Amino acid sequence: MKRVSIIAASLLFLAACGSGGDDKPGDTGLNGAGKTLNVLVQANTIYPDQQRAWFTEINDKFKAQTGAEVKFETFASPNDELTKIQTSVLSGQGPDIYSLGTTFTPTAYATGAFLELKDDDWKKLGGKDAFLPSTLGISGPDAEHQVGIPFTSRPFVMAYNTELLKAAGIDKPATSWDELLVQAKQLTKGDTYGLAVAYADGFDPWKFIWAMSVQAGNPLVKDKKASLNDPVTLKAYQTYLGWLATDKVVNPAAVGWKNAQAIADFGAGKAAFLPMVSATSKVTLDKSSVAGKYAYAIMPTVPPGQTSTPGVGATSILSGDNLVVAKYTKNKDLALALVKLLTSPEQQESYYKTFGELPTNATAAKKLQSDPALAPIIDSASKASGTPFNGAWSQVQLALVNVVVQSIPALKDGKLDEAKLKQLIADGQKAAQDALDKSK
Amino acid sequence: MRTDVQRLLPRSVQAVVIAVLLVFVLTPVLYMLFASVNDDLAVARGAFWPKSLHLDNYSKIWSTVDLGAGLGNSVVVAGSVAVVSALVAVATAYVLVRFQFLGRGLILRGLLALQSIPGTLMLLPVFVLFANLSAVLGVQVIGTRWALFVTYLTFALPFSTWVMVTYLRGLPAELDEAARLDGASSWRILRSIIIPLSWPGLVVASIFAFLLGWNDVLFASVMTNPDSRTVAVALQVFGATQEGGAIPVYGQLMASALICALPVVVLYLVFQRFLVGGLTAGGVK
Amino acid sequence: MLTPGGVLLVLVILVPLGVALTVSLLDLDQYTLREWTGAPFIALDNYVEAVTDTPLPHAIWVSVGYSALVTVATLPIGLAAALATQQRFKGRALVRSAFLIPYVLPAFVVGTVWRTILMPSGPANSLLGDGRLWLNGPDSYWTLVVVQLWTSWPLLYLLAASGLQSIAEEVHEAAALDGAGWWAKLRHVVFPHLRGVLALALIIAFLHNLNSFTLPYVLFGVPAPHDVEVLPVLTYVESFQNFRFGLSAAMAVLSLVLVAIPLSVYLRAVRLNQHED
Repeated sequence: MKRVSIIAASLLFLAACGSGGDDKPGDTGLNGAGKTLNVLVQANTIYPDQQRAWFTEINDKFKAQTGAEVKFETFASPNDELTKIQTSVLSGQGPDIYSLGTTFTPTAYATGAFLELKDDDWKKLGGKDAFLPSTLGISGPDAEHQVGIPFTSRPFVMAYNTELLKAAGIDKPATSWDELLVQAKQLTKGDTYGLAVAYADGFDPWKFIWAMSVQAGNPLVKDKKASLNDPVTLKAYQTYLGWLATDKVVNPAAVGWKNAQAIADFGAGKAAFLPMVSATSKVTLDKSSVAGKYAYAIMPTVPPGQTSTPGVGATSILSGDNLVVAKYTKNKDLALALVKLLTSPEQQESYYKTFGELPTNATAAKKLQSDPALAPIIDSASKASGTPFNGAWSQVQLALVNVVVQSIPALKDGKLDEAKLKQLIADGQKAAQDALDKSK
Repeated sequence: MRTDVQRLLPRSVQAVVIAVLLVFVLTPVLYMLFASVNDDLAVARGAFWPKSLHLDNYSKIWSTVDLGAGLGNSVVVAGSVAVVSALVAVATAYVLVRFQFLGRGLILRGLLALQSIPGTLMLLPVFVLFANLSAVLGVQVIGTRWALFVTYLTFALPFSTWVMVTYLRGLPAELDEAARLDGASSWRILRSIIIPLSWPGLVVASIFAFLLGWNDVLFASVMTNPDSRTVAVALQVFGATQEGGAIPVYGQLMASALICALPVVVLYLVFQRFLVGGLTAGGVK
Repeated sequence: MLTPGGVLLVLVILVPLGVALTVSLLDLDQYTLREWTGAPFIALDNYVEAVTDTPLPHAIWVSVGYSALVTVATLPIGLAAALATQQRFKGRALVRSAFLIPYVLPAFVVGTVWRTILMPSGPANSLLGDGRLWLNGPDSYWTLVVVQLWTSWPLLYLLAASGLQSIAEEVHEAAALDGAGWWAKLRHVVFPHLRGVLALALIIAFLHNLNSFTLPYVLFGVPAPHDVEVLPVLTYVESFQNFRFGLSAAMAVLSLVLVAIPLSVYLRAVRLNQHED
């Protein structure tokens, strides 16, 4: 009897040792001892200490899981990251994983230097279903060729001054751009204006034009054809520029405002609406004089000049960060394991609690749906639409912004020169089409 | 009186010039000083006078980015570039000025032409060069301070050399001819005569080389890793905005910019007394 | 003695320059970057496109114009500062160091500071009581000139000051004996002596201003307003934001060639490369 039990015990013991690598939750069975993964993320100036602590936390967790270390590197601005990507692609050495803004994912894809995720790879990440379906919209040109793994969600919304609206008898922000203009006019008196818009920002302008065009049915780029010269886009520019020039619902100084100035103006209580901000503005606004007196709402979805939405009712561009894995990495499976860790429900929830960035993991996102303060933001995320997935998109974007930049001198004088605007749009159309013609 | 003989401008003119220039130079610096202790939102709105004092910006900058390490790296890299480029420049200039040989004019013109090459053109090719060097030598080149040192040194050489060429041309040839008659070697002449006499030129050449290494962002941002990051790259982080939300931390940006300008200004404060006047008449004997 | 410097220059500047030249003949963009040696050879197509289809001609015009303006304007300022600080006076060291500050500050800081000062609701306009647009439109050109002037005049000051140091004492004494007034002394003794240094300073300053990228980039952003569409920002955007490396290299090479011509004329005129007696 004793002999059998010893054999049985030894067998059980051996069986336990044999499967020891698989029975810890989240353990991948990978041995990464002595290996290091390099990850490139954006430097966080609002929470620098927390970011450093997070780096250490991830390193410790991943080491416990796989034995491999994680070294984080930061970049200051997306342009710096683009340059870093170029040098890495050129030389075949650099970070293993990049945290990439969604609008830059198409350009990264075009270089062909990032891992296209096959079914196998998605399995290693926990499956596509682990992610909110809307966040996968800018991972690749189509479902079979995806490089981006959604990491954080940062949809755009509109902040509004609850006191000013209450005083004017408006109970909630408009759902159409035309109605918003009416409300803004009501709210413009003295040195307070209805809207705070950053005309001189390098990014904001195109997002407005894109939203209004897409809502009216013009996606701007389709099948390698640019359609900036569509009448609905002209209307979009006229509306956007008209807010300052003819409608006078924006502070005239806004011709020189970058995003920071628009936020500061709203924060000083001098504007009623602040469109095109994300949840990260919360930190800034909570330190301003409108703390406690503002709320978020989704931006209008009915295009200017219309009463319903013929196109896509996009509340925002699909915005946030994707994680991409470089093809030149020597530790592909380890990299995928790290991405899985970063997009796991627990990590995503803790990341949200520390940095305020919305999760892309479906389970974590569901938990936040019940938070009333977040409702408009989550709503915007679900109704966000991806910008065209084309390697030439950054040039199209530049062309869109250029129309605004070159219109600013005239804007300052309170004029909206139709002929000049049409010429600028035509130039932009040409530039965009040329770039698209070169795309593969 | 010696000083009267050397006077170049009458006192009144001198005073006016200095006053005007100080106002011109220091007004924006004053703005920076005020902004460094002001509230970020107020600075974004264009305030000049601080409404509230935020002196903690000066302590926050050290933890928002690793400014201390960045300063250390920058001092090491820029400092060595300054010293080495000044020495190489004076040696090269000495040869170019005192000796006649074929191709001398070509080299001089070529050095000046090299100054016209924009950095943006060179970034990717230089990076590729170092990456290939890594592969050939088997050691990591990109991300080390050596790579930066070599790059900055090379970029600083054309101008430094030209500064020394121009300066050395002003030194009378009799000095080193006399030494050569005494049997001194070129090295000896360089060390004992040329270098001591060309301090003003050396100061300018070193400042230029130092600032090249101190302020360059383009090359440093791609050729460093977190350990070898220079202060210029670290400073970039302060100016960054998070798309759609966070504003630049203006206060910290201004504070760190002032702090980073300090070492160079202090160094110049120390070395500017080497911009001594005139050659002593006794030297020719 | 020439070898170490020479080796470095060849390795770190000439070889990459050769690579850049090669790139300008290739169709190198985000699609072909990964295997850049295999990018299609398109000979002079990039050059043709640069001249006909990009803002390059206008950018060169803007860049050369404002660089020349700034360079010429910094000359009297730098010279005056050097002359004024030649004499020992109390606090001279501090004044000299203060003068250096604009040159020492990193370009991106200078750009950000002036950008906030000059924005329509900024301190400059509050002082002027105006709402003028300094960062876009026709005035933006003058803004660029003034800001570039502010940050680059100390270089001329440094070079002029170092040149003043090499005036021998006997020369000063001789001028005093002749009973020359200060302006006459400057004109006949000091300025001729500084000719060499100032000639160098002018050309170096011009080249630096021409290639100054960070300042206009931070001051005006991208896309640049038409009036301040400068060359370095254009090549930077083409290369690092549009990923059109071949085109951008061609633009840079073209501008190099265009600058080289007046450069050699200048060198010949000033006889910078000849031995002065």
